Amino acid sequence: MIKHHPHAELLQAHALGELPLSMSIAVAAHCALCQECQTQIAKLTEQAAKLVFVSSGDDEVQHNASNEIDVVDNAPWQQMLSNIMALPESTMSEPYIESSVTVSHRNTRYQIPRVFRQHIAQPWQQIGKVSRMRFDMDEKNTRASLLHIEALGEIPQHTHKGFELTLLLSGEFSDSTGHYVAGDFIILDGNTQHSPITQTGCLCYTVLDAPLYFTKGISKLLNPIGELIY
Amino acid sequence: MENFQSHLAQNRYDRQLSPPIEMAMENDNHNLSADKHITDIDPLVSAIIKVANQRDKAAFGYLFSHFMPKIRAFGLQRLNQQGLAMDLVQETMTTVWTKSHLYNADKGSVATWVFTIMRNQCFDMLRRVQHNREDAFGDDIWPLYDVAVSQDNNQDHKLTAKLLVHLDALPLAQRQVVQGIYMQELTQQELADALKVPIGTIKSRLRLGLEKLKSFLETQHD
Ligand SMILES: [Zn+2]
Repeated sequence: MIKHHPHAELLQAHALGELPLSMSIAVAAHCALCQECQTQIAKLTEQAAKLVFVSSGDDEVQHNASNEIDVVDNAPWQQMLSNIMALPESTMSEPYIESSVTVSHRNTRYQIPRVFRQHIAQPWQQIGKVSRMRFDMDEKNTRASLLHIEALGEIPQHTHKGFELTLLLSGEFSDSTGHYVAGDFIILDGNTQHSPITQTGCLCYTVLDAPLYFTKGISKLLNPIGELIY
Repeated sequence: MENFQSHLAQNRYDRQLSPPIEMAMENDNHNLSADKHITDIDPLVSAIIKVANQRDKAAFGYLFSHFMPKIRAFGLQRLNQQGLAMDLVQETMTTVWTKSHLYNADKGSVATWVFTIMRNQCFDMLRRVQHNREDAFGDDIWPLYDVAVSQDNNQDHKLTAKLLVHLDALPLAQRQVVQGIYMQELTQQELADALKVPIGTIKSRLRLGLEKLKSFLETQHD
Protein backbone atom coordinates (compact mmCIF):
# COMPACT_ATOMS: atom_id res chain seq x y z
CA MET A 1 0.00 0.00 0.00
CA ILE A 2 1.19 3.49 -0.83
CA LYS A 3 2.07 5.30 2.37
CA HIS A 4 3.86 8.34 1.08
CA HIS A 5 1.96 11.00 -0.84
CA PRO A 6 2.77 14.50 -2.09
CA HIS A 7 1.85 16.95 0.65
CA ALA A 8 -1.14 19.25 0.32
CA GLU A 9 0.76 22.32 -0.91
CA LEU A 10 2.39 20.31 -3.65
CA LEU A 11 -0.95 18.91 -4.82
CA GLN A 12 -2.40 22.41 -4.79
CA ALA A 13 0.48 23.84 -6.79
CA HIS A 14 0.16 20.98 -9.25
CA ALA A 15 -3.56 21.60 -9.78
CA LEU A 16 -2.78 25.25 -10.48
CA GLY A 17 -0.02 24.34 -12.92
CA GLU A 18 2.62 26.15 -10.90
CA LEU A 19 5.24 23.40 -10.63
CA PRO A 20 8.14 23.02 -13.04
CA LEU A 21 7.98 20.19 -15.56
CA SER A 22 10.09 17.74 -13.56
CA MET A 23 7.84 18.06 -10.50
CA SER A 24 4.61 18.17 -12.49
CA ILE A 25 5.55 14.82 -13.97
CA ALA A 26 6.27 13.41 -10.52
CA VAL A 27 2.91 14.44 -9.08
CA ALA A 28 1.02 13.37 -12.21
CA ALA A 29 2.74 9.98 -12.16
CA HIS A 30 1.97 9.52 -8.48
CA CYS A 31 -1.68 10.38 -9.14
CA ALA A 32 -1.76 7.79 -11.92
CA LEU A 33 -0.83 5.23 -9.26
CA CYS A 34 -2.80 6.68 -6.35
CA GLN A 35 -6.58 6.99 -6.54
CA GLU A 36 -6.66 9.04 -3.36
CA CYS A 37 -4.47 11.82 -4.72
CA GLN A 38 -6.15 11.64 -8.11
CA THR A 39 -9.46 12.42 -6.44
CA GLN A 40 -7.82 15.19 -4.46
CA ILE A 41 -6.39 16.76 -7.62
CA ALA A 42 -9.81 16.67 -9.27
CA LYS A 43 -11.24 18.56 -6.31
CA LEU A 44 -8.44 21.10 -6.25
CA THR A 45 -8.76 21.66 -9.98
CA GLU A 46 -12.45 22.32 -9.63
CA GLN A 47 -11.76 24.79 -6.85
CA ALA A 48 -9.07 26.51 -8.88
CA ALA A 49 -11.44 26.77 -11.84
CA LYS A 50 -14.09 28.33 -9.62
CA LEU A 51 -11.59 30.78 -8.27
CA VAL A 52 -10.46 31.85 -11.72
CA PHE A 53 -13.77 31.75 -13.58
CA VAL A 54 -16.63 32.28 -11.20
CA SER A 55 -14.95 34.32 -8.52
CA SER A 56 -17.30 37.27 -8.35
CA GLY A 57 -20.34 35.87 -10.03
CA ASP A 58 -23.44 35.09 -8.03
CA ASP A 59 -25.40 37.01 -10.56
CA GLU A 60 -24.41 35.11 -13.66
CA VAL A 61 -26.70 36.96 -16.04
CA GLN A 62 -25.43 40.39 -15.16
CA HIS A 63 -21.90 39.08 -15.23
CA ASN A 64 -22.29 37.71 -18.73
CA ALA A 65 -24.07 40.77 -19.98
CA SER A 66 -21.18 43.03 -19.02
CA ASN A 67 -18.70 40.68 -20.66
CA GLU A 68 -20.63 40.59 -23.88
CA ILE A 69 -20.23 44.29 -24.28
CA ASP A 70 -16.46 43.87 -24.10
CA VAL A 71 -16.46 41.56 -27.07
CA VAL A 72 -19.09 43.25 -29.15
CA ASP A 73 -17.39 46.65 -28.94
CA ASN A 74 -13.91 45.41 -29.45
CA ALA A 75 -12.68 44.76 -32.99
CA PRO A 76 -9.62 42.62 -32.18
CA TRP A 77 -11.69 40.26 -30.03
CA GLN A 78 -14.35 40.09 -32.70
CA GLN A 79 -11.65 39.24 -35.19
CA MET A 80 -10.26 36.52 -32.95
CA LEU A 81 -13.73 35.11 -32.40
CA SER A 82 -14.45 34.84 -36.10
CA ASN A 83 -10.98 33.44 -36.82
CA ILE A 84 -11.59 30.68 -34.31
CA MET A 85 -15.03 29.89 -35.64
CA ALA A 86 -13.64 29.62 -39.16
CA LEU A 87 -11.75 26.54 -37.99
CA PRO A 88 -13.29 23.12 -38.56
CA GLU A 89 -14.09 20.81 -35.72
CA SER A 90 -11.24 18.52 -34.89
CA THR A 91 -12.68 15.53 -36.75
CA MET A 92 -9.79 13.33 -35.85
CA SER A 93 -11.10 11.35 -32.95
CA GLU A 94 -8.59 11.45 -30.15
CA PRO A 95 -6.23 8.51 -30.24
CA TYR A 96 -7.03 5.77 -27.84
CA ILE A 97 -5.27 6.84 -24.71
CA GLU A 98 -3.26 4.16 -23.01
CA SER A 99 -2.92 4.79 -19.32
CA SER A 100 0.67 3.61 -19.38
CA VAL A 101 3.75 3.39 -21.58
CA THR A 102 6.48 0.80 -21.70
CA VAL A 103 10.09 1.47 -20.85
CA SER A 104 12.66 -1.27 -21.25
CA HIS A 105 15.85 -1.77 -19.31
CA ARG A 106 17.95 -4.56 -20.74
CA ASN A 107 15.50 -7.41 -21.04
CA THR A 108 12.90 -6.16 -18.63
CA ARG A 109 9.87 -4.15 -19.70
CA TYR A 110 8.16 -1.83 -17.26
CA GLN A 111 4.73 -0.27 -17.55
CA ILE A 112 4.92 3.28 -16.24
CA PRO A 113 2.37 6.12 -16.23
CA ARG A 114 1.87 7.67 -19.65
CA VAL A 115 2.99 11.11 -18.46
CA PHE A 116 6.51 9.84 -19.23
CA ARG A 117 5.51 9.25 -22.85
CA GLN A 118 7.68 11.97 -24.42
CA HIS A 119 10.71 11.55 -22.18
CA ILE A 120 11.82 7.95 -22.31
CA ALA A 121 13.70 7.92 -25.59
CA GLN A 122 16.99 8.75 -23.85
CA PRO A 123 19.76 6.15 -23.43
CA TRP A 124 20.48 4.36 -20.17
CA GLN A 125 23.82 5.00 -18.49
CA GLN A 126 24.85 2.05 -16.38
CA ILE A 127 27.42 1.68 -13.64
CA GLY A 128 27.27 -1.63 -11.79
CA LYS A 129 23.76 -2.37 -10.64
CA VAL A 130 22.66 1.23 -11.02
CA SER A 131 21.41 2.68 -14.30
CA ARG A 132 20.02 6.06 -15.05
CA MET A 133 18.12 7.61 -17.90
CA ARG A 134 18.53 11.37 -17.74
CA PHE A 135 15.60 13.36 -19.04
CA ASP A 136 16.13 16.39 -21.19
CA MET A 137 14.11 19.05 -19.45
CA ASP A 138 16.28 22.09 -19.50
CA GLU A 139 15.59 23.15 -15.94
CA LYS A 140 18.91 24.57 -14.81
CA ASN A 141 20.23 22.59 -11.85
CA THR A 142 17.29 20.28 -11.57
CA ARG A 143 17.95 16.78 -12.77
CA ALA A 144 15.12 14.45 -13.58
CA SER A 145 15.63 10.86 -14.56
CA LEU A 146 14.59 7.27 -14.33
CA LEU A 147 16.72 5.27 -11.94
CA HIS A 148 16.97 1.53 -12.25
CA ILE A 149 18.58 -0.57 -9.54
CA GLU A 150 19.06 -4.27 -10.02
CA ALA A 151 18.26 -6.82 -7.32
CA LEU A 152 20.42 -6.41 -4.21
CA GLY A 153 21.71 -3.18 -5.61
CA GLU A 154 22.65 -0.31 -3.38
CA ILE A 155 23.50 3.32 -3.86
CA PRO A 156 26.46 4.57 -1.83
CA GLN A 157 25.38 6.62 1.13
CA HIS A 158 25.18 10.25 0.22
CA THR A 159 23.76 13.54 1.25
CA HIS A 160 22.71 16.24 -1.07
CA LYS A 161 22.06 19.88 -1.19
CA GLY A 162 18.44 20.74 -1.72
CA PHE A 163 15.71 18.16 -2.03
CA GLU A 164 15.67 14.78 -3.59
CA LEU A 165 12.41 13.40 -4.84
CA THR A 166 12.00 9.70 -5.43
CA LEU A 167 8.84 8.22 -6.90
CA LEU A 168 8.95 4.45 -6.86
CA LEU A 169 7.41 3.19 -10.09
CA SER A 170 8.04 -0.52 -9.85
CA GLY A 171 9.59 -2.96 -7.41
CA GLU A 172 10.59 -2.07 -3.87
CA PHE A 173 13.43 -0.63 -1.86
CA SER A 174 14.28 0.10 1.72
CA ASP A 175 16.44 2.62 3.45
CA SER A 176 17.02 3.56 7.06
CA THR A 177 13.65 5.32 7.14
CA GLY A 178 11.48 2.48 5.86
CA HIS A 179 10.28 0.12 3.19
CA TYR A 180 8.71 1.49 0.03
CA VAL A 181 6.33 0.19 -2.63
CA ALA A 182 5.34 1.34 -6.12
CA GLY A 183 3.61 4.71 -5.97
CA ASP A 184 5.41 5.92 -2.85
CA PHE A 185 6.40 9.56 -3.24
CA ILE A 186 9.39 10.39 -1.09
CA ILE A 187 10.94 13.82 -0.65
CA LEU A 188 14.10 14.10 1.38
CA ASP A 189 15.66 17.40 2.22
CA GLY A 190 19.33 18.32 2.15
CA ASN A 191 19.97 17.13 5.70
CA THR A 192 19.03 13.54 5.15
CA GLN A 193 21.50 10.75 4.71
CA HIS A 194 20.23 7.53 3.24
CA SER A 195 21.37 4.51 1.33
CA PRO A 196 18.55 2.73 -0.37
CA ILE A 197 18.87 -0.98 -1.04
CA THR A 198 16.56 -3.14 -3.07
CA GLN A 199 16.09 -6.89 -2.66
CA THR A 200 14.27 -7.55 -5.90
CA GLY A 201 15.22 -4.53 -8.00
CA CYS A 202 13.30 -1.34 -8.68
CA LEU A 203 12.56 1.45 -11.11
CA CYS A 204 12.16 4.99 -9.79
CA TYR A 205 11.66 8.47 -11.10
CA THR A 206 13.95 10.91 -9.32
CA VAL A 207 14.27 14.66 -9.28
CA LEU A 208 17.28 16.32 -7.76
CA ASP A 209 17.67 20.01 -7.57
CA ALA A 210 21.42 19.83 -7.02
CA PRO A 211 24.22 17.34 -7.54
CA LEU A 212 24.60 14.66 -4.93
CA TYR A 213 27.61 14.48 -2.67
CA PHE A 214 28.73 11.13 -1.45
CA THR A 215 29.85 11.06 2.14
CA LYS A 216 31.24 7.67 2.94
CA GLY A 217 34.92 6.83 2.83
CA ILE A 218 35.81 5.43 -0.51
CA SER A 219 32.73 6.85 -2.08
CA LYS A 220 34.38 10.25 -1.94
CA LEU A 221 36.60 9.05 -4.70
CA LEU A 222 33.51 8.22 -6.65
CA ASN A 223 32.21 11.75 -6.66
CA PRO A 224 32.74 12.23 -10.40
CA ILE A 225 30.83 9.02 -10.97
CA GLY A 226 28.15 10.25 -8.68
CA GLU A 227 27.88 13.34 -10.81
CA LEU A 228 27.67 11.17 -13.86
CA ILE A 229 25.06 8.84 -12.49
CA TYR A 230 22.85 11.54 -11.11
CA MET B 1 -24.19 39.48 -33.04
CA GLU B 2 -27.21 37.55 -31.83
CA ASN B 3 -28.56 37.78 -28.38
CA PHE B 4 -27.09 34.72 -26.74
CA GLN B 5 -29.44 34.54 -23.81
CA SER B 6 -32.63 34.32 -25.79
CA HIS B 7 -31.09 31.98 -28.29
CA LEU B 8 -30.13 29.60 -25.54
CA ALA B 9 -33.50 29.82 -23.89
CA GLN B 10 -35.27 28.80 -27.07
CA ASN B 11 -33.31 25.64 -27.61
CA ARG B 12 -33.36 24.25 -24.17
CA TYR B 13 -33.67 20.64 -25.18
CA ASP B 14 -31.02 19.10 -27.18
CA ARG B 15 -31.62 16.56 -29.90
CA GLN B 16 -29.02 14.26 -28.60
CA LEU B 17 -30.20 12.11 -25.77
CA SER B 18 -27.23 11.41 -23.61
CA PRO B 19 -25.68 14.70 -22.55
CA PRO B 20 -28.79 16.35 -21.11
CA ILE B 21 -29.61 13.21 -19.22
CA GLU B 22 -26.17 13.00 -17.73
CA MET B 23 -26.42 16.61 -16.76
CA ALA B 24 -29.75 16.19 -15.11
CA MET B 25 -28.39 13.31 -13.11
CA GLU B 26 -25.42 15.26 -12.02
CA ASN B 27 -27.60 18.10 -10.84
CA ASP B 28 -29.67 15.64 -8.90
CA ASN B 29 -26.60 14.24 -7.24
CA HIS B 30 -25.51 17.66 -6.13
CA ASN B 31 -28.88 18.67 -4.89
CA LEU B 32 -31.39 16.10 -3.93
CA SER B 33 -34.34 18.45 -4.07
CA ALA B 34 -36.77 17.55 -6.82
CA ASP B 35 -36.71 21.11 -8.12
CA LYS B 36 -33.10 20.92 -9.13
CA HIS B 37 -33.71 19.86 -12.58
CA ILE B 38 -32.92 19.57 -16.24
CA THR B 39 -34.53 22.92 -16.97
CA ASP B 40 -32.02 24.50 -14.62
CA ILE B 41 -29.07 23.34 -16.70
CA ASP B 42 -26.14 25.65 -16.50
CA PRO B 43 -26.21 27.91 -19.59
CA LEU B 44 -22.52 27.11 -20.08
CA VAL B 45 -23.28 23.40 -20.34
CA SER B 46 -26.13 24.09 -22.68
CA ALA B 47 -23.88 26.26 -24.84
CA ILE B 48 -21.05 23.76 -25.08
CA ILE B 49 -23.43 20.99 -26.09
CA LYS B 50 -24.76 23.20 -28.87
CA VAL B 51 -21.25 23.88 -30.04
CA ALA B 52 -20.41 20.18 -29.92
CA ASN B 53 -23.54 18.99 -31.69
CA GLN B 54 -24.42 21.82 -34.03
CA ARG B 55 -21.31 24.01 -34.32
CA ASP B 56 -23.60 26.69 -32.93
CA LYS B 57 -21.81 30.03 -33.36
CA ALA B 58 -24.05 32.02 -31.08
CA ALA B 59 -23.49 29.49 -28.32
CA PHE B 60 -19.74 29.71 -28.88
CA GLY B 61 -19.92 33.49 -28.85
CA TYR B 62 -21.56 33.22 -25.48
CA LEU B 63 -18.76 30.96 -24.18
CA PHE B 64 -16.15 33.27 -25.65
CA SER B 65 -17.66 36.31 -23.99
CA HIS B 66 -17.92 34.48 -20.71
CA PHE B 67 -14.39 33.12 -20.52
CA MET B 68 -12.31 35.58 -22.53
CA PRO B 69 -11.84 38.28 -19.86
CA LYS B 70 -10.89 35.74 -17.21
CA ILE B 71 -8.49 33.81 -19.40
CA ARG B 72 -6.90 37.09 -20.37
CA ALA B 73 -6.52 38.08 -16.70
CA PHE B 74 -5.02 34.68 -15.88
CA GLY B 75 -2.64 35.00 -18.84
CA LEU B 76 -1.53 38.48 -17.81
CA GLN B 77 -0.81 37.24 -14.32
CA ARG B 78 1.14 34.16 -15.41
CA LEU B 79 2.77 35.30 -18.63
CA ASN B 80 3.12 38.94 -17.82
CA GLN B 81 2.61 40.20 -21.36
CA GLN B 82 -0.43 41.51 -23.25
CA GLY B 83 0.38 39.64 -26.44
CA LEU B 84 0.91 36.34 -24.68
CA ALA B 85 -2.32 36.77 -22.75
CA MET B 86 -4.12 37.28 -26.07
CA ASP B 87 -2.44 34.14 -27.38
CA LEU B 88 -3.61 32.23 -24.35
CA VAL B 89 -7.20 33.32 -25.00
CA GLN B 90 -6.90 32.37 -28.64
CA GLU B 91 -5.34 28.96 -28.00
CA THR B 92 -7.71 28.08 -25.19
CA MET B 93 -10.87 29.11 -27.01
CA THR B 94 -9.69 27.42 -30.21
CA THR B 95 -9.50 24.14 -28.32
CA VAL B 96 -12.94 24.74 -26.87
CA TRP B 97 -14.29 25.30 -30.39
CA THR B 98 -12.52 22.41 -32.12
CA LYS B 99 -12.74 19.86 -29.32
CA SER B 100 -16.02 20.66 -27.64
CA HIS B 101 -17.13 17.08 -28.23
CA LEU B 102 -14.57 15.99 -25.65
CA TYR B 103 -16.36 17.81 -22.87
CA ASN B 104 -17.98 15.30 -20.54
CA ALA B 105 -20.46 16.69 -18.06
CA ASP B 106 -19.99 13.64 -15.86
CA LYS B 107 -16.39 14.64 -15.24
CA GLY B 108 -17.01 18.18 -14.10
CA SER B 109 -18.19 21.66 -14.86
CA VAL B 110 -17.52 23.57 -18.07
CA ALA B 111 -15.42 25.97 -16.02
CA THR B 112 -13.20 23.11 -14.84
CA TRP B 113 -12.80 21.83 -18.38
CA VAL B 114 -11.90 25.23 -19.79
CA PHE B 115 -9.57 25.81 -16.85
CA THR B 116 -7.81 22.56 -17.66
CA ILE B 117 -7.32 23.58 -21.28
CA MET B 118 -6.10 27.02 -20.25
CA ARG B 119 -3.72 25.79 -17.55
CA ASN B 120 -2.19 23.20 -19.88
CA GLN B 121 -1.75 25.73 -22.65
CA CYS B 122 -0.28 28.25 -20.24
CA PHE B 123 2.15 25.64 -18.92
CA ASP B 124 3.50 25.04 -22.43
CA MET B 125 3.60 28.76 -23.24
CA LEU B 126 5.53 29.44 -20.07
CA ARG B 127 8.12 26.84 -21.01
CA ARG B 128 8.35 28.47 -24.41
CA VAL B 129 9.04 31.83 -22.81
CA GLN B 130 11.37 30.64 -20.03
CA HIS B 131 13.21 27.80 -21.73
CA ASN B 132 12.69 28.60 -25.36
CA ARG B 133 11.33 25.11 -25.78
CA GLU B 134 8.65 24.26 -28.31
CA ASP B 135 7.54 21.14 -26.47
CA ALA B 136 3.97 20.39 -25.48
CA PHE B 137 3.70 18.50 -22.23
CA GLY B 138 0.67 20.12 -20.60
CA ASP B 139 -1.87 17.69 -22.01
CA ASP B 140 0.28 14.72 -21.00
CA ILE B 141 0.47 15.95 -17.44
CA TRP B 142 -3.22 16.82 -17.17
CA PRO B 143 -5.17 14.86 -19.82
CA LEU B 144 -8.13 16.76 -21.29
CA TYR B 145 -10.24 13.71 -21.78
CA ASP B 146 -10.29 10.21 -20.50
CA VAL B 147 -10.34 6.87 -22.18
CA ALA B 148 -14.04 6.34 -21.70
CA VAL B 149 -14.87 9.54 -23.54
CA SER B 150 -12.51 9.24 -26.45
CA GLN B 151 -12.84 5.53 -27.08
CA ASP B 152 -15.88 5.44 -29.24
CA ASN B 153 -17.39 7.97 -31.60
CA ASN B 154 -20.61 6.03 -31.78
CA GLN B 155 -21.02 6.03 -28.06
CA ASP B 156 -23.94 8.42 -28.23
CA HIS B 157 -25.80 6.23 -30.67
CA LYS B 158 -25.26 3.22 -28.52
CA LEU B 159 -26.31 5.07 -25.44
CA THR B 160 -29.45 6.27 -27.17
CA ALA B 161 -30.31 2.77 -28.27
CA LYS B 162 -29.71 1.46 -24.78
CA LEU B 163 -31.90 4.13 -23.30
CA LEU B 164 -34.69 3.40 -25.75
CA VAL B 165 -34.61 -0.23 -24.73
CA HIS B 166 -34.94 0.70 -21.11
CA LEU B 167 -37.63 3.30 -21.70
CA ASP B 168 -40.10 0.46 -22.07
CA ALA B 169 -39.16 -0.76 -18.63
CA LEU B 170 -40.23 2.51 -17.03
CA PRO B 171 -43.67 2.90 -15.50
CA LEU B 172 -46.06 4.55 -17.95
CA ALA B 173 -46.19 7.90 -16.17
CA GLN B 174 -42.42 8.31 -16.19
CA ARG B 175 -42.06 6.96 -19.71
CA GLN B 176 -44.52 9.53 -21.08
CA VAL B 177 -42.54 12.35 -19.59
CA VAL B 178 -39.09 11.14 -20.61
CA GLN B 179 -40.32 10.33 -24.09
CA GLY B 180 -42.14 13.62 -24.44
CA ILE B 181 -39.12 15.65 -23.48
CA TYR B 182 -36.32 13.73 -25.15
CA MET B 183 -38.02 12.33 -28.22
CA GLN B 184 -40.86 14.71 -29.01
CA GLU B 185 -38.97 17.70 -27.70
CA LEU B 186 -41.92 19.02 -25.76
CA THR B 187 -41.43 21.50 -22.98
CA GLN B 188 -42.38 20.58 -19.46
CA GLN B 189 -45.25 23.02 -19.59
CA GLU B 190 -46.57 21.49 -22.79
CA LEU B 191 -46.38 18.07 -21.20
CA ALA B 192 -48.10 19.28 -18.07
CA ASP B 193 -50.91 20.72 -20.19
CA ALA B 194 -51.21 17.60 -22.32
CA LEU B 195 -51.26 15.24 -19.35
CA LYS B 196 -53.32 17.64 -17.23
CA VAL B 197 -50.98 17.44 -14.25
CA PRO B 198 -49.07 20.17 -12.40
CA ILE B 199 -45.62 21.00 -13.75
CA GLY B 200 -44.11 19.87 -10.42
CA THR B 201 -45.40 16.38 -11.14
CA ILE B 202 -43.74 16.45 -14.55
CA LYS B 203 -40.49 17.45 -12.92
CA SER B 204 -40.53 14.68 -10.37
CA ARG B 205 -41.58 12.03 -12.89
CA LEU B 206 -38.77 13.09 -15.16
CA ARG B 207 -36.29 12.96 -12.32
CA LEU B 208 -37.43 9.51 -11.20
CA GLY B 209 -37.42 8.25 -14.77
CA LEU B 210 -33.91 9.51 -15.42
CA GLU B 211 -32.65 8.03 -12.19
CA LYS B 212 -34.07 4.68 -13.14
CA LEU B 213 -32.61 4.83 -16.65
CA LYS B 214 -29.25 5.71 -15.24
CA SER B 215 -29.36 2.76 -12.86
CA PHE B 216 -30.19 0.46 -15.78
CA LEU B 217 -27.19 1.79 -17.66
CA GLU B 218 -24.93 1.41 -14.64
CA THR B 219 -25.91 -2.23 -14.18
CA GLN B 220 -25.18 -2.81 -17.84
CA HIS B 221 -21.74 -1.27 -17.59
CA ASP B 222 -20.75 -3.45 -14.65
ZN1 LIG C 1 -1.28 9.68 -3.15
